[in-house]
Amino acid sequence: MNSFLWRLAGHLTRGLAMVWVVTTFTFFLIRLMPGDPVQIQYERLIAQGMSPDQAESATAITYGFLPDGPVWQQYLDYLSGLLVLDLGVSVESQGIPVADRVFGAMPWTVILVLSGILISFLIGVGLGVVAALRRSSFVGHSLSIAGSLLHGVPPFVIGIVLAALFTRRWRWFPSGGVYNGDEVAPGFYADFMLNVAYHMVLPASAFALASYGGWLLAMRSSVASVLGDDFLLAAELRGLTSWMRFRYLARNAILPLFTVLAISFGLVFGGAIFIERIFNYPGLGMLLLSSIGARDYSMMSGSFLVITVAVIIANILADLFYSFIDPRVRRQT
Amino acid sequence: MKRSVCAIAAALAFTLAAGATAGCSPSKPEAKKSGGTYTSVFANHAIDPQSPINPFAGKGNSFTGYNVTPLGIRKNHLTDHNQHYPAIAESWQVSPDGSEITIKLQPNAKWSDGTPVTAEDIKTSAAVAFTQGGSIFAITPGSTGALGEVTIVDEKTVKFTQAPGARNNTFLFSVLAMNVLAKSVWGPQLPADFWDKVKKGAGSDDAAKAARDEITALGKRLITFGPAKDVSAGPFVLESVNASEAILTKNPHFYNADKIGPEKVRLKNYSGNEQIWNYLIAGELDGAPFTATPTNVVEQILKVPGSKKITGLSQVSAALVFNQKYAPFDKVEVRQALAYLIDRSEVQKIGAPDSGKPSEHTHGLIEDAAKAWIGDAEVSKLNPYNPDKAKAEALLKQAGLTKAADGKWMLPNGQPFTFKLQVPNGFSDWVAAGKNVANQLTNAGIAVEATTSADYAVYQKEIAEGKYAAGFWLIALGPSTYNAYARLYGGANGWSAFGGKLAHKPAGEGGNWMGGAETANVAGLGTLNPGELTYQLSQLPVDQAKDTIVKLAKYTNDQLPGIQMWNYVNVKFVNTTRYENFPPDNCECLRETDGVWMQLGYIQPKK
Repeated sequence: MNSFLWRLAGHLTRGLAMVWVVTTFTFFLIRLMPGDPVQIQYERLIAQGMSPDQAESATAITYGFLPDGPVWQQYLDYLSGLLVLDLGVSVESQGIPVADRVFGAMPWTVILVLSGILISFLIGVGLGVVAALRRSSFVGHSLSIAGSLLHGVPPFVIGIVLAALFTRRWRWFPSGGVYNGDEVAPGFYADFMLNVAYHMVLPASAFALASYGGWLLAMRSSVASVLGDDFLLAAELRGLTSWMRFRYLARNAILPLFTVLAISFGLVFGGAIFIERIFNYPGLGMLLLSSIGARDYSMMSGSFLVITVAVIIANILADLFYSFIDPRVRRQT
Repeated sequence: MKRSVCAIAAALAFTLAAGATAGCSPSKPEAKKSGGTYTSVFANHAIDPQSPINPFAGKGNSFTGYNVTPLGIRKNHLTDHNQHYPAIAESWQVSPDGSEITIKLQPNAKWSDGTPVTAEDIKTSAAVAFTQGGSIFAITPGSTGALGEVTIVDEKTVKFTQAPGARNNTFLFSVLAMNVLAKSVWGPQLPADFWDKVKKGAGSDDAAKAARDEITALGKRLITFGPAKDVSAGPFVLESVNASEAILTKNPHFYNADKIGPEKVRLKNYSGNEQIWNYLIAGELDGAPFTATPTNVVEQILKVPGSKKITGLSQVSAALVFNQKYAPFDKVEVRQALAYLIDRSEVQKIGAPDSGKPSEHTHGLIEDAAKAWIGDAEVSKLNPYNPDKAKAEALLKQAGLTKAADGKWMLPNGQPFTFKLQVPNGFSDWVAAGKNVANQLTNAGIAVEATTSADYAVYQKEIAEGKYAAGFWLIALGPSTYNAYARLYGGANGWSAFGGKLAHKPAGEGGNWMGGAETANVAGLGTLNPGELTYQLSQLPVDQAKDTIVKLAKYTNDQLPGIQMWNYVNVKFVNTTRYENFPPDNCECLRETDGVWMQLGYIQPKK
């Protein structure tokens, strides 16, 4: 137990150091970006047909929310704010706390990407086992080729294809949004859940299709390497049923994939930026994109920080979790 | 193993879906009524459930024309920026010298809670506008055209007076454009002595500065304020909002409620033009805001059953502008030569085939506005700069350039005449047009490369820093001629008015990136200062502005700080499957939101 606590403490220390490094890096990087949030807003309103006077009025107060003072002072203010979990206020949304906006967008990204990851993981792992067991057959070859091809296609391409097919060619699914507020109000009831699921089908499918190939190939490779292990031969000699032998095989082969899965959960918070953009899905990815477009420094810093923390936590959990599920690692530690 | 993973996955997904919506109302929306739900996109700002119901919020849940409405709705009139449709203001009277406006409110105007809209509400609205600053609500010492006083005449009458000495001809439209806010909601947010602070703030001593600081601090606090429940004087009230859309329901107390067709409005969040096009092609919208739409997309949209486009006047032009700090753009002959070399019809066909008309002249206004202001006869005297290689060559030679044997133009210093034409990434019309201009000029012996900036933010910053020799720029923003000419002879070209005084900064200083001369001699007119003339336009009564506009049009046509490429056409797509009676082509209401159209009696459910 002591060694576990030491390991945890080590992970946390390294994690905090990493958060500080990334926070510092992104803080200064963001401020090096050219562009003035007020001017961007002003010209956008002009382009939309607002008169210069109206646009000036509409943007006047934004000046009050621009971080001011020397950059080092802003940096110190930002760090001291972080110590009390204050991510600052948005420039574009003029005074709305960054945390409110980030945590408002987060559930939609989590539900979308998590669904996509789980669907792709389950299908990819299942088909990976089949591809490995039938690796010399037509089925095995077909699965491997399909997996490789889809693995090579960027998610946004799949998203565009799905959108073109299922929102334009056949109008089966909506082009965007998270639910139809005219049909359902949020709550714990089936109609609402189904409405959310209906709006999520295409973006989640795009994510799942884009990532299932990776799981398939990894599982196929892992199963193929485990297939040659002595313990499977021993199990067969001991007369265990094929179902039992399959369970032995699957449990050992899936171990490396669990680490990747745990880390993928961390990346959930980064969102599927392009997929969210294509389907106008208002998650963290869209939030990040809009804050970059508007040069909303505080929002960008806040979004990057949340993503960084999530990835680091996922890494720590993956490491700790692995020692629980794999006795060999536990013994080594 | 698999069973457990599946179970965890299902449980997790369900829990997350539930968690995502925790804290929201569990009730289902009420059944729809006969007017149906009208679906559109709100493009003025993004929708954000975390933001307040506040018309000043950058991202908020107040939607102009729907649940927030001004005193008057500005018509897209060709020449008169003071033409409005009545809204909460039933009528208004302007004193002969323009310094006072007396507004009569709609007698039966009510808030969505059933209480009447009164003059007190209007005074509160003006107070809140002061906390946000800008236009006539700027509390700057000696600021021109600032609002001085708001006087309640009776319950339904209110008087606005300009600050002493100020005479700004945009005063009326700035007052009428003011969002009407409920005193019952916003009044308690203001200190009792607010108007004293405004008066104090107009001074120039320490006490005035302290008062201004207090008002600024109040403004910062108020922008994050919003009532828990919408109190609207507009035709709709906010019912619910989620991260991707807002649902508004008809306000039964709206003064003109019987004119409003739809029972509900569903406004989708705006995240880009492509998204609007996708919605239109998928047939999911009843109406859409203006976007500069490429021809292939227009064709796809119009294939959707019931889809049609409404076109009308847009008071915006796209121009190729020069930074005259860069040689040889400092020579007027070179700018004129380029105007002769560029075929603007071709540029418009490539850049804005459906949402533009080639500019017939460069004069700083859209063509129809110029004709209306100064007459066909004066406009016809202007140089149209029709493509003419011979004239261009003569002008280039006059500027000291020479033509090499291979047809390339050389600068007086012996270097080839080349430049980069900058356009921002994402502006598909400007990008296409920029490439076409580059091709045309390259074919004429001037090697031009159209280069793109990473995004509009970078473009704006770098053009203002004077990093580009030439780029695209929106000009001719009407109907206010002051606004139109301020794009050419305002801050971007070195002129700024502060405290009622006009000053000019040299090229490269104080935001002057166009780098034009402060004065220039124009044949028949003598030496003109275009910044001064432009400033005069903000002061002159509209009916006395013609002579000044003639001078500015001629100056612009002769000096060419930019070449007007095309005048935009306002193209709006609607779908008539479920609603009919959309505004006709060229309606003066076309630039307004669909909510304003509804207030005017347009958009009725299809019978």
